Order: sequence, then C-alpha cells, then structure tokens
Amino acid sequence: MKRQECVAMLLAGGQGSRLGGLTRNRAKPAVSFCGKYRIIDFTLSNCTNSSINTVGVLIQYKPFLLNSYIGLGSAWDLDNPFGGVHILPPFLGETEGSWYNGTANAVYQNYEFIDYYDPEYVIILSGDHVYKMDYTLMLKFHKEKKSEITLATIQVPLEEASRFGILTIDSDSRVTKFTEKPVHPESNLASMGVYIFNGTTLKQALIADKDDYLSQNDFGKNIIPHQLNIGKRVFAYKFEGYWRDVGTIESYYQANMESLKDGHFLNIFDPKFRIFSNEDIFPPHFVGSTAEIENSLICNGCTVHGKVSNSIIGPGVYVGEGVEIRDSIILPYVKLHKGSSVHRAIIGENAEIMSHCNIGAERKIGSAHEGITVIEDYHLITEGTVIEAGKHIYRSRAI
Amino acid sequence: MSNAIGIIFANSGSDNLQGLALDRPIAAVPFGGRYRILDFALSSMVNSGIRTIGLVTPHQYRPLLDHLGAGKDWFLERKDGGLFILPGVMHSLAGSKDTFCIKDLQNNLEFLQKDYVENVLISSGDQIYNMNFKDTLEFHRDKHADVTLIYKAENPFDDGSHNQILLELDGDQKVAKLHDKNSLEREDLAQLHFVNIILIRRELLLDIIEKYGSYGCNDLIEIISSNIEVLNIFGSPTNSLIGTIHTIKDYFDRSMDLLDLRVREQLWLGVDRTHTKIVDNPPTKYTLQAKVSNSLIASGCSIAGEVINSIVFRGVILEQGCRIQNSIIMPKCHIHANAKTNYTILDKSVIVQRENVLKGSVNHPLVVLKKTVI
Repeated sequence: MKRQECVAMLLAGGQGSRLGGLTRNRAKPAVSFCGKYRIIDFTLSNCTNSSINTVGVLIQYKPFLLNSYIGLGSAWDLDNPFGGVHILPPFLGETEGSWYNGTANAVYQNYEFIDYYDPEYVIILSGDHVYKMDYTLMLKFHKEKKSEITLATIQVPLEEASRFGILTIDSDSRVTKFTEKPVHPESNLASMGVYIFNGTTLKQALIADKDDYLSQNDFGKNIIPHQLNIGKRVFAYKFEGYWRDVGTIESYYQANMESLKDGHFLNIFDPKFRIFSNEDIFPPHFVGSTAEIENSLICNGCTVHGKVSNSIIGPGVYVGEGVEIRDSIILPYVKLHKGSSVHRAIIGENAEIMSHCNIGAERKIGSAHEGITVIEDYHLITEGTVIEAGKHIYRSRAI
Repeated sequence: MSNAIGIIFANSGSDNLQGLALDRPIAAVPFGGRYRILDFALSSMVNSGIRTIGLVTPHQYRPLLDHLGAGKDWFLERKDGGLFILPGVMHSLAGSKDTFCIKDLQNNLEFLQKDYVENVLISSGDQIYNMNFKDTLEFHRDKHADVTLIYKAENPFDDGSHNQILLELDGDQKVAKLHDKNSLEREDLAQLHFVNIILIRRELLLDIIEKYGSYGCNDLIEIISSNIEVLNIFGSPTNSLIGTIHTIKDYFDRSMDLLDLRVREQLWLGVDRTHTKIVDNPPTKYTLQAKVSNSLIASGCSIAGEVINSIVFRGVILEQGCRIQNSIIMPKCHIHANAKTNYTILDKSVIVQRENVLKGSVNHPLVVLKKTVI
C-alpha cells in the first residue's frame, strides 16, 4: 500500500433536518443543488482538484441514494488504484460499535481506515457546503506554520457571525480563541468546518475526546476548543472565495439564487478546476415556441413550454404550456402541468404538479410574511390546488 | 448475456458534407446538440446488451478517439469485452462507395477469431437511430439464419438516393433477392429498405473473409448478395427512425427533424438512452434579454440573444442582440452582439464578430468551417 500524504474524511451522515422536505428521502449531501449538481459534488470535486485521491465518506442517515450517487467515485475521477472513495457506515465489532455519536466520534470509529493509509495529514471535510477550494494551498500553509491543526476560515458579516464557530487570531494567524456560535462574537472570522490535522495529533485528540464523558464528540464544540486549551499549535487559514453553508431552507434557497448572478463560480466553466457531477444522460433541453425564459438556468433533458423567470430548472423537468415559474427552484424530474403557477418555491425531485395549481400563492391575511414554499420529493399535487406562501408540504409518513 | 459482438464501420467519409467531414469521418460529426453521429449506433448496441464492440476507424481517427476514450461513458470499459479499436485500411475514407469493406475486417481478423460468440452485428456509423436489437437477435436464432438483414418498410425520411438496396422477401421473411433501387424497373415491389445493419454468424463471416479478403476491397453486402442461393438469409423489420447522413442536406434536415416531438420521442425519450461523452458543463444560463423558441439547447451555454428553430451545442455563447434562426451552432461557438445567422451550420469554435450576417437557404445551408473567425 502506497502511503498517502493526506487522506480526506468527509462527514456526510447528518440528517439535515433543517432542510425539511428536501431531506425526507435522502441525506443532505445528496440533495440536488443548482440544477445539475448535488451538494456533495463540490467537496468531492475539490478533493479531485486538490490531488487528494483517498476519501472516506462517513454516512449514516438515509444512505441509499447518497451511496448509489457516489458509487465508486468515478464521476469525480476518484476511482484510482491508490485509494479511492470509501463509504464508511457505522458498524458493529465483537464487543463495541454504535451509531455515530457526533462528528468526532464518527472519525474515531473509523480510525482503522485512516491507519490503513497511515497519512501524515488528515483533512476533515463536510458534505454540505457549496464552494470551490484548492486544499493544497491550505496544506502548504499548514506545513509552513508547522501547525498541528489548521482551520479554514472565511470572513462573514458580523451580524451573522453568531451562526458560526468564531475565531480570534494573533498577528501570526495562530488561533487564540475559538467559540462555537457565540452570542456576542469577538470577530467575524468564521470556521468553515474544514480542518487539517497532523495524523498523530488527530489520533491523540480523538482518543482523549473518547474518554471525556462530558464531551458531545463534536469537532467544533469539543475537539478544537480542547486542543487549544492544552496548547496545541492551531492556525487559521484564510480562504478567500465563495463559500456557503446550505443547511437551512433559507440558506439553500439563497445559495441557489446567487448562482444566477453574473460571474458566479458555477457559471464559469473553468477547465482547470471543474466541478464534476454524476449526471444522468439526457438530450439537450427543448424550448417550445410558447416558452419565455429570462435570467434562469435550464438543464439537459427539460422541455419548456411555459414562462420561467429568475429560476433554476433541474434536469429532466417538464414545464407545460401556460405554466409560470418565478423565483423558484425546480429539482430534477419534476412535472408541472398546464396553467400552474409557482412562486418562490422549491419543488422536490419527481414531484408532479397537476394543471392549474398555484404554489406559493400570496396570503390574504398577513401578506407581509413571504416564506419559501417547499414541496417534498415524489409529492403529487392534485389539479387546482392552491398552496399558500411559506407552506411546507410533506407526505404523511407510511408506517 | 448477448450472443453477439458488434462492429461499427466508423470509417466512411463524404465529400458532400461541405467540410463537416473534412478532417473527421461522418461518424465523428457532431449531431443533435451534444452527440456525435456514432453515438447512436454505439448506444443502440450497448442498450441491446452487446458488451464487445469493435470500431473500424479511418485514417484520421483522432476526433473519434478523443470522443470515445476507453469507452467509459458507454459502459464499455470492462474486463470482459469492451471497446476495441480496429484500424481500417487507409484508402477507405474519402469517396469510397463500399459500406462494409472485407479488407477492413481482414486487417482485424483477430478481433473476430478470439471471441467465441455466435454472431456479429455490423452497423454503419453514419446513421441516426435508436434501436434495440434484442428482437433481431431472437429472430436470427429462431430462424437459424446465416445472415439477418434489418430493413424498414418505408423510408421515413424521404432522402431518395442513399438507401439503395431493397429486399425482396418470400412468405417466411426469407430474402429472395437484393435489388439495387436505382436499376430497379419493377415499380410494384414493396419498398423494403435495407438499413445497413446486418447480423451474421461469426464463423460464416470468418469464412467469407478468408475467401474474399485477398481480392482488394470487396463489399460484404455484395458478397452476401451473390451467394444468396447457398445462404440462409432473412430480413427482420424495424420501426425505429433511421436517418442516414451522407450530404449536407441530410445533415441539416435530420437535425431539424429533432425539433419535432414525435422524432424526439422515438429517438431520445424512450427507455433506451443515447450515451455520449460527459463533459460536466454547468447548466445553460439565460439572461433577461434571451428569447428562445422551438429550439434545442445543450448545457454550458450562455444565451442573451434570440434563437429560433435552431440547435445549439454545448458551451456556446450568444451575445445580446444576436439572432440565430434555422441554424445549427456547434460546440464553443461565440456569436457576438447583433450578428445574425439564418440557415447556417457553424462547425466547432467558430467566432462570428459583431453585426455580421450569415445566410444560407433551406436546400443549401451555409457551412462555416471549424475555428473560422468571421
């Protein structure tokens, strides 16, 4: 076995419950994003583009669609003889074993995997971020600073800082303080949830954390603060570029809509740093003679006969005649029949909206509230249904 | 598992494509927004369960290999079988009338010898179709046929001159005679057009190669035709759409046919997909000024102009105020502001500067060669 310099551990097991209907049937990293992508595409593509060819994907919640999407990793060129993509589910041993209890615990339980490749460095990644980042630059920084733990950071607006893990650093970029979701943030330097550890440091940290019964076994909440306390060399690498956490309906919607702007990284085909995706093969999309499309993204395999503005239409979507879509995200394989209108909504994969429905209708009372309407995957909306803005439509669960 | 291997003759060229086939075989000409003509034959074979496919390549095979790689996007990168490149004889590209040249097969005899399957499915690589050969394979087996010729009861596209061979069948679908359409005097004969796809017993094919291989360029169809009495030859019908691309008019018309939903339904919207090289382009971006009607648009484009009755390939940039009408715009073309095209085919990476007007006609679409700057 060829020893790897850097192995990636990709945390993809979270439930993503704040994405509501979008994660009812699939893990968050497998949720469709910006038409043809799924959220995990960005992290996996970053690995490929950063020459990291050994990736452990830690899965737990609703793994089937995620696993089948990742496959052998060939869509991201990660099917190589030196490492490749390894799906790592929770497992039972002879005497121990349990569900993953926190991000750190998930990595701890799979230490055998890391030991197998015996890497000098381990990079911890998250499967629910949208960004394009060359990890080799961060690794270079890590080596230059003789750092033991390096956190990737980004500047966020101060008013939003309390949603993130916030760092305070000295003039040498060394981290002096780390607070997870502070009420009164000291700075606007936020952790992106991307960490590089020296192999030995990570192992020690995980073992120490395992024995701490008060710990919630979380990298942000426990490991990083504890390692700072015991005086480890922790540094902050400043990432400049686009990075979004898409953990909530609002942030997911915003991040999708931002991709409609000029100059967004997704709109620029960069042959040196491609975002790969495991796409279905579809013919080009067909635009009918009654269609009107403005400021929108349209994917392969669509048929558009209606009006689409400021929206993102995923692959294989059918937009019937007289349909009007505004400020919405239509996920793959959705069918919208004649005369329906959709406003500020997210329509889940394979959902079918029969004719003359009104999704995201303005509320008669209290119209100041304008929420994002979400229709769950595979949902069928019967003819003429009116769904008020801000409603989230889920199916009742079969028992 | 299928009891056949496939061979596609991707080496036929044409002087009648006005430069689209100048440095590539017809099989490698881009078609339908994201495909190459060859993709249709290749995908049909793959979708029919054929896992070993040999591709007879022409002298200029770079565009073909660039597109195919190891065949991964057609699921042909495998341990057992896969995609095999069969270099054809040099002189077969330009102007050759032969469809299936025996010499090309003799050059690659080992490909046929080393396999142990019963049959070989042979198709030309210059046709647009989406066919599942499972029925034909069954038919071939049930009839204990030596050769099965696939035919279409009528020519769906009225392209007169190309499908030159008509079949005359007896009551049991057995082929009694092959007729050359042009020299045919009997008007009463049913128009059963042979579509350049044949299924033949591998052993028989090896015998034919051994016997006729040394005589210069013999055509397999002619050999079959002249041995019609001794061979067990059957005709198997197909209802799928088939369009042969030989002239620029064929190319233009078959492309424009795609704007018809019925054609797309038969070709693309069924269970069997047409596979092609995946490029991982982002979705196509429409700006506020975009105006598109009755057109096919591939991924990775940026559209700010007007597009009517046209086909736009991957990665095309259409600036504000430009107007694309009845045209085919191949990958990575860039049309600057206020330029106009009508009945025009732009080959790959053509740049049309501001305010230019390019105009062809229905019967004579204007073709602009690869990488031209206008």
